Amino acid sequence: MEFFKSQSHKVIDFMRYQRVCGITSGLLVLASIIGLFYPGPNYGIDFRGGTELEIELRSKVTSEQLRKTVEDLGYHRPDVIAVGASANRYILRIQEVSSLPAKQVDKIEAGFKRALGTVAVDGFKVSPGGDKIAVRLSESMEPDAVRAALETSGARIRTVTVFGAPQDHRFEAMLVGVGDELVRGLKSKLGNAIPETPLRVEWVGPKAGQQLRTAALQALLYAMAFIMVYVAFRFDLRFAPGGVIALFHDAAIVAGMYVLLQKEFTLGTVAAILTVVGYSINDTIVIFDRIRENMARMRDVGLYELINISTTQTISRTIITSAVTQLSILGFFIWGTPVIQDVVFALTIGFISGTYSTIYIAAPFTEWMDRRVLRRV
Amino acid sequence: MDKGWYVRFLFVLATVVGSWLILWPSVDKWVPAPPRVKTMFQNRISPGLDIRGGLRLMYEVEVDEAVRDRRDLRADQLLRTLGERYGLIKKGVVPTREQLQKTAQRLQITPVGERGMKLKFRDNADLAKLDRQLIADYGDVREKGREGTVVDLDIRTDFLDQIRETAVEQARETISNRVDALGLREASVTAQNADIIVEVPGADEAAFQRMRDLISKTARLEFQIVDDDSTFVEELTDLPEGITRHTETVSAGTSKPAVTMSYIAARGQGARQKLSDYIDTLKASGKLPTDHEFLIGEYSRADAGDKAAPKAREEAWRTWYLHGRAEITGQAIKDAFVANEPDTGKPYVAINFNDDGAEVFRQLTAANIKRRMAIVLDDRVASDPVIQTEIGGGHCQITLGGFRPYNEVINEAKDLVVVLKAGALPVPIRPSNEQMIGPTLGLDGVAQGVRGAVVGIALVLLFMAVYYQVAGLIADLVMLINLLLMLAAMAFFEATLTLPGIVALALNIGMAVDANVLISERIREELRAGKSARSAVDQGFGRAFWSIFDSQLTTLLAAIVLFQFGTGPVKGFAVTLVIGICTSLFSGVFCSRVIFDWLVRGARVNSLKVG
Repeated sequence: MEFFKSQSHKVIDFMRYQRVCGITSGLLVLASIIGLFYPGPNYGIDFRGGTELEIELRSKVTSEQLRKTVEDLGYHRPDVIAVGASANRYILRIQEVSSLPAKQVDKIEAGFKRALGTVAVDGFKVSPGGDKIAVRLSESMEPDAVRAALETSGARIRTVTVFGAPQDHRFEAMLVGVGDELVRGLKSKLGNAIPETPLRVEWVGPKAGQQLRTAALQALLYAMAFIMVYVAFRFDLRFAPGGVIALFHDAAIVAGMYVLLQKEFTLGTVAAILTVVGYSINDTIVIFDRIRENMARMRDVGLYELINISTTQTISRTIITSAVTQLSILGFFIWGTPVIQDVVFALTIGFISGTYSTIYIAAPFTEWMDRRVLRRV
Repeated sequence: MDKGWYVRFLFVLATVVGSWLILWPSVDKWVPAPPRVKTMFQNRISPGLDIRGGLRLMYEVEVDEAVRDRRDLRADQLLRTLGERYGLIKKGVVPTREQLQKTAQRLQITPVGERGMKLKFRDNADLAKLDRQLIADYGDVREKGREGTVVDLDIRTDFLDQIRETAVEQARETISNRVDALGLREASVTAQNADIIVEVPGADEAAFQRMRDLISKTARLEFQIVDDDSTFVEELTDLPEGITRHTETVSAGTSKPAVTMSYIAARGQGARQKLSDYIDTLKASGKLPTDHEFLIGEYSRADAGDKAAPKAREEAWRTWYLHGRAEITGQAIKDAFVANEPDTGKPYVAINFNDDGAEVFRQLTAANIKRRMAIVLDDRVASDPVIQTEIGGGHCQITLGGFRPYNEVINEAKDLVVVLKAGALPVPIRPSNEQMIGPTLGLDGVAQGVRGAVVGIALVLLFMAVYYQVAGLIADLVMLINLLLMLAAMAFFEATLTLPGIVALALNIGMAVDANVLISERIREELRAGKSARSAVDQGFGRAFWSIFDSQLTTLLAAIVLFQFGTGPVKGFAVTLVIGICTSLFSGVFCSRVIFDWLVRGARVNSLKVG
């Protein structure tokens, strides 16, 4: 079987679209980069943290059942983890946090200070998860009085406890939030099996901090630099920027699509982008290799024509490889958890972009470099 | 058929059989492996947190220690700056011990509570050197009040939360780095208010214990000068039962090449506890000066030339009397690795300092020539070399272990390297809770993932067979070999298999087919040009080889860079990528060639169907 009859006498003029594609891709990449800063990616629980509950059920509920119920309540991708030997104890992790808008925080703080009168407030801080207010007062007070003062301005408090050494006058007020809502929802669905209060509700920090973000980006930049050097050494100096630009283009497009669709940006997304980078450079090098081979054979043909010939000769392979790669992950679109489906989505975008960028970005850019930059020097 | 072919065929066969043997114990559940194979190959693929669950460890970060540390840092800085203003300390040079002592005679700084300090000046003239600007420059310090020549300072309340949060975040990153350094095991490390939660996949108690040890090591490395001018140990009168006093002849500076100093030691079971209890009573009764430390270390055979030397392998501990201030800490470390002493074969940990650290180390050694410097790790003296000369270049080494067996020492050295490289915990942590947890992903989720992978791989196999016919079937065969090799590599490296890992496996198969596509397309081109099957195969492989080689090598390069500069998941990704490239090159190029050669040379096929 053969989809693409390659006829050596008929060369497809890919380079015709050099300018159109260059400008379009440039704009798309620019839009992606802007999008990464504004509005910015929709970071998932890996990067942003979430809310964690530990709950002891009164009767047997399987983890599948519990997960299903949490999902039915509208929570996105919950983790339902069975704990230890006791069969009815679970940790539930959801990415929703009880966010308190800054305006409301200010209002609560102002109201709190007013209610306290002469007692000075040394510290007032709402936790990043919006589940807790930590206060430090200048003199000692009863937790109940602190609670009353906080409630005057509309804060919904579950408990207030003394925190740290008594002479510090520090208090922690746990707020009614996402955790309580989840428990209420579960109760309406599962009834008596759900206890009134969870064992604990806490905000959990992100798995991947700032460090990972910078390290990943840095690693990517270094990889690009090394690839440039290798290509310049193995092929030709003219080829080096084209390959790297195509690679950067693909990574940016995937990230840009994530921003555009406001899909959740997780550690899986990072892995997907890195895979796309690997695929993209691999794909590009194959065409560069063919150009190099043809260059040696057809000395009198210009680079423009040479790229057309080489691209035509390899078009069959380019498309088959990208199709086969796509086939290998097709199954996950139907059978896969939502997290996996997102990763596969990112890969699909990346492979399409990678195939396109090899033909319409990497090689044409090399020709443009050759014509515009190097000839002038 | 030439002889070379048989050799290559046997090599492929041996690789496939070997890979299967390595993988077999991991798939024991479905294909029961004979006990002999299980004992021979013990490395297995371990299911990740999402598939099988694991252990959940919770640590409490002692955040108040961070506040104390900040206060101590500011106290040191104040003493040094004022010393400079009094003309006792040279600006920009690390002060010597004597200079600091002289400064301390004019300005006494004592800690108050967890965040305060009391500055007691000798007279008003000295007090006048402390201006408001100096305090304001620190940003986080404020003046609480003053009375005569005594000034009370403390860390500002509005900075306390920030200091505590930074400590938790730094601790989280440090622990995360240490866990990473253990290899491919995908553990998760998160912070939750003042707690750190580590989730480790698996059910292997020995591995958990190593993880616990590694996490809770503070890894605070400090270099402190031994005080060999003091008679403190000599004058101790109330030595308890089992603790003995000994003397040693040491060098105490260039002017005193041989002085006799005392130390105390204990031997046998519980010796360390005995010594540390005694030191605690000295601290409690106020006999131990606050600017000094009395620390314990292993009593090795090598440094005991006297009768008190313990027999080999017997537990023995001794003390060192040290100046309290740490001259350099682990933060100045750039790199660390394990090496062996050439003549004794004893393992040691070699350390390279960063540029700042190297400079401080040079100045420190220059200022203390012919004095003993204690290398202190987590409040235990590891060794006490005499500084012979000024040491530039920023290298130093820590020798480990006096009485313990070699294997134990080498393992400690390896773990020490891990923690030194990952950095010290900014503050101590305390284990607070531990529980076994089930899989984070439901059983149905795992089953779905596996189904998705099987379908994906089956689709690729089917497509190749239909599209490239004979060449496609060969591609399918080598693809299965590739899958086997990848799984065997995962078992060999004891990699953790997670659901995303299953996706990566399927994807790797899809991408590895590229080599076969390139080869098949080339063979097809050659056949179309009218070549015989045999020369089409030769030419096709010859031409496709460089495309495959260059494209895979470039990707490999990217993978190595990602491994070198990435952390955590990025690193794990790079390892998978490297394994995938190696196995796909072997199967896609080498194995395919063996099969094609058999077809055109052995079976003498004249017409090759390549779609």
